Amino acid sequence: MTDRTRIALLLAPALLLLGGLFLSGLGLTLLRSFRYFPALGLTEPDLGAYAAILTSPGFLRSLGLSLWIASASTVLAAILALVAALLLRQSFPGRALISFLVQLNLTIPHVVGAIGILYLLSQSGAFARLAHAAGLIAGPADFPVLVNDPFAIGIILLYVWKEVPFIALILLANLQTLGEDHESVARSLGATRWQAFRHVLLPMLAPGLAAASALVFAFAFGAYEVPLILGQHAPKALPVLAWQAWTDTDLATRPEAMAMSIVIAAIGLALLALVARAVRQGGE
Amino acid sequence: MMRPDPRRADRLRLLAGLALAGTLILPLVPLALWSVAQGWRFPHLLPQAWSGRAWAHALDPASGVLESLALTTLIALATTFIAALVGVPAGRALGLYRFRGKGIVTLLLLAPAVLPAIAVVFGLHGVFLRLGLTGTVAGVILAHLVPVLPYMTLVMAAVFARLDPELEAQARTLGATPFQTFRCVTLPAILPGLMTAGLFAFLVSWSQYLLTLAIGGGKVQTLPLLMFSFSSAGRNDITGAIALIYILPGLLVLILTARQVTGRGAALTQGLRP
Amino acid sequence: MTRLTLKGLAKRYAGAGQAALHGLDLTVASGSLTALLGPSGSGKTTTMKLIAGLIAPDAGDIRLDDRSIRDLPPERRGVAMVFQNPLLFPHLTVAGNVGFGLRMRGLAPDRIAASVAAMLARVRLSDLADRRPAQLSGGQAQRVALARALVLRPEVLLLDEPLSSLDATLRDEMRGLIRDLQRETGITTLVVTHDQAEAVALADRIALLLDGRLVQHDRPEAFYRRPASEAVARFFGGVNFLPGKARGGRFDCALGALDLAPGLPEGPGLLTIRPEAIRLGPGPNPLPARVQAVTFLGTQTRVDLGVEGFALQALVAPEAGLPLSPGQEVTVSLPPSALWLLPRPEGAA
Repeated sequence: MTDRTRIALLLAPALLLLGGLFLSGLGLTLLRSFRYFPALGLTEPDLGAYAAILTSPGFLRSLGLSLWIASASTVLAAILALVAALLLRQSFPGRALISFLVQLNLTIPHVVGAIGILYLLSQSGAFARLAHAAGLIAGPADFPVLVNDPFAIGIILLYVWKEVPFIALILLANLQTLGEDHESVARSLGATRWQAFRHVLLPMLAPGLAAASALVFAFAFGAYEVPLILGQHAPKALPVLAWQAWTDTDLATRPEAMAMSIVIAAIGLALLALVARAVRQGGE
Repeated sequence: MMRPDPRRADRLRLLAGLALAGTLILPLVPLALWSVAQGWRFPHLLPQAWSGRAWAHALDPASGVLESLALTTLIALATTFIAALVGVPAGRALGLYRFRGKGIVTLLLLAPAVLPAIAVVFGLHGVFLRLGLTGTVAGVILAHLVPVLPYMTLVMAAVFARLDPELEAQARTLGATPFQTFRCVTLPAILPGLMTAGLFAFLVSWSQYLLTLAIGGGKVQTLPLLMFSFSSAGRNDITGAIALIYILPGLLVLILTARQVTGRGAALTQGLRP
Repeated sequence: MTRLTLKGLAKRYAGAGQAALHGLDLTVASGSLTALLGPSGSGKTTTMKLIAGLIAPDAGDIRLDDRSIRDLPPERRGVAMVFQNPLLFPHLTVAGNVGFGLRMRGLAPDRIAASVAAMLARVRLSDLADRRPAQLSGGQAQRVALARALVLRPEVLLLDEPLSSLDATLRDEMRGLIRDLQRETGITTLVVTHDQAEAVALADRIALLLDGRLVQHDRPEAFYRRPASEAVARFFGGVNFLPGKARGGRFDCALGALDLAPGLPEGPGLLTIRPEAIRLGPGPNPLPARVQAVTFLGTQTRVDLGVEGFALQALVAPEAGLPLSPGQEVTVSLPPSALWLLPRPEGAA
């Protein structure tokens, strides 16, 4: 058996299965987004669904909201994760327990975190009660609206809470691989602690940080259940809007739902491709 | 090196670490409290009365929570098993060989791993509808393979990439058959990685919400779906109990793999998902 | 030009049973190229990191001339260190790497560029200025690392096993480059190595560390002719040791009474002679010997000899007195000027 056939045989089951599921799913979504839907009597593909959503103020507001959620979550999570990774890299008493909790968070499903945040931050939630006990508010209505709110604060906080450990663990793995020698060299060449971090460690961590952040962005941009639980009624986050269009009793809105999910996929893919290219160039 | 008092620096780090750790478990606190609360109105800081009612309900076979737990476990196990069966050979091809088209294959694997489920789920539903797989457990398992299989394959590729191919050649020159080589040399070498990959693949399936909802069409009630419906119905106590049951496997997985994750976590982090 | 002085320098790593360094005293003369030699685990790299300020000592002091730098952060010590691996910054070009330290000092870009260009020319890397570290060979990377430290004109330059990652031919080239640059600049340089041949070929002075202690600090040839102890002699390839007693210019031992050169101490001791100093044939201190084995080593031939039940090893030029074969009876002579007396190891009668 040649290596070629061996490789082909090893890959075939996975590619067939995944190709069958992922490509057919994506393919059919794409087809229907072009309003090709024989069951509904649509047999002439066109761009009507895209035209409809791109001119709909509701869609554009949802798109803007989702972009805001993803950007704010990613930037906050990346900064905090960098701090957390630098902290967890040091050795100090109690570190083992803290790294365990950081990893525990990674295994908690988003739904659980979202409901937890809801019980924590809602106007009758745990923080509101603490504020009342401290005499800061008289009743639930005085507590700031932090969940199901127009600025998506609850959603962003959930993503930051959930993704800081994700990015931090990737950075920690990078830090372990890099070791401390490059910083030591920098120090012995006259760099201060801050300069060694700023000019040596940070650029070396940048590819990993960018890749992890892109994953977080793509996830926060496209996740459904988090804005479902923590989002406001209108405008909805884009995935929730797409789901609503898909489950609408009016079957005619389905191509629009498909077009929205293609927009989500395209933005996610474009971002990842951008990061992949930047990482490859930086690595040379 | 000139340093401030090292004990003070340690205390500061511990303090910062505790703040981090505290924040990380904070959202779990109200869930845990609700699960043992009987009535917990504003503005009480703690439940007015404690009760095991939510837990009794959750653990009562009639409530469907246990059934849902079994179903969620079954789906995650089956998904993991299929993913391992198909993903280990593919991971071997990607980790051990260089070949033309490797970039495309990797891309095809990465895309479903990083793209949100919403991008494929509507189309997948259409395909499954035609195949009679919507509303079935089998359909949900297949759908879960979309994120789980790439994860498994990429992690196994990293595991195989760290395996010295000379090791197998050495075994062959010592008289081992290809099967013996796999059984006695390759498998023991990849087993720790395979275990870790399997446990985390289990968690990826375990955490799915949207794919189950869309493909299961309400007929396949896994724990997250059940928990969401109790939460929407305002049953915070039962929601809390289910949430705690739901995060248990993650805790177990973490205890089982703690060393691999903190140690050389490269294999895991390559496939980590947000 | 700066003198580097270590005084009672001690370091024990947390959790380690044995101290890495037990009160090291060492003075590195201004402008010298000194090798810090020792087997792995002898405390060499610890000493380097202490001098560079990358770890803090438990006790002792580090001085440049008369200033203590013990409590200064690494960047303010005027000490530059080149690590065993080149450790170039992967995100910077060759020129960016060489200019790194100057940039950290806040120098103007045109001044940095001029210094970097001059330095790169000096290490013959001008045409690689815009390359990334990943595109360099091992030897090139090591030269960039050296240039990156030297361009700062440090008061003291530390080199940690600078040749160990290179293959044999590059090693000679790099050794020559280090020697030349050190002579030109006169920067006080301390080189860590575990390879005695390398230390001898490179350095003006050698400080030998064994088990975290300085056992001898001398010119390279002294380690062959006047080793301070049996351990030092063995580290430099000494194999012939005879217990006995020196009295009245002669040494009484199992081989009889051997004439000594004047000036050696009296009393019990351990006589040593380098294998290459043993002569085959009649001469001073002649002894009857039987050839046990002959091993051709290329540039030399090793002859294992039995003398009065005692094993001696000689290294001779391949032509000298050959052919020899096992079992042959020969006369060997031990020139008094090559005999050196060591203190008897403790516990030996």
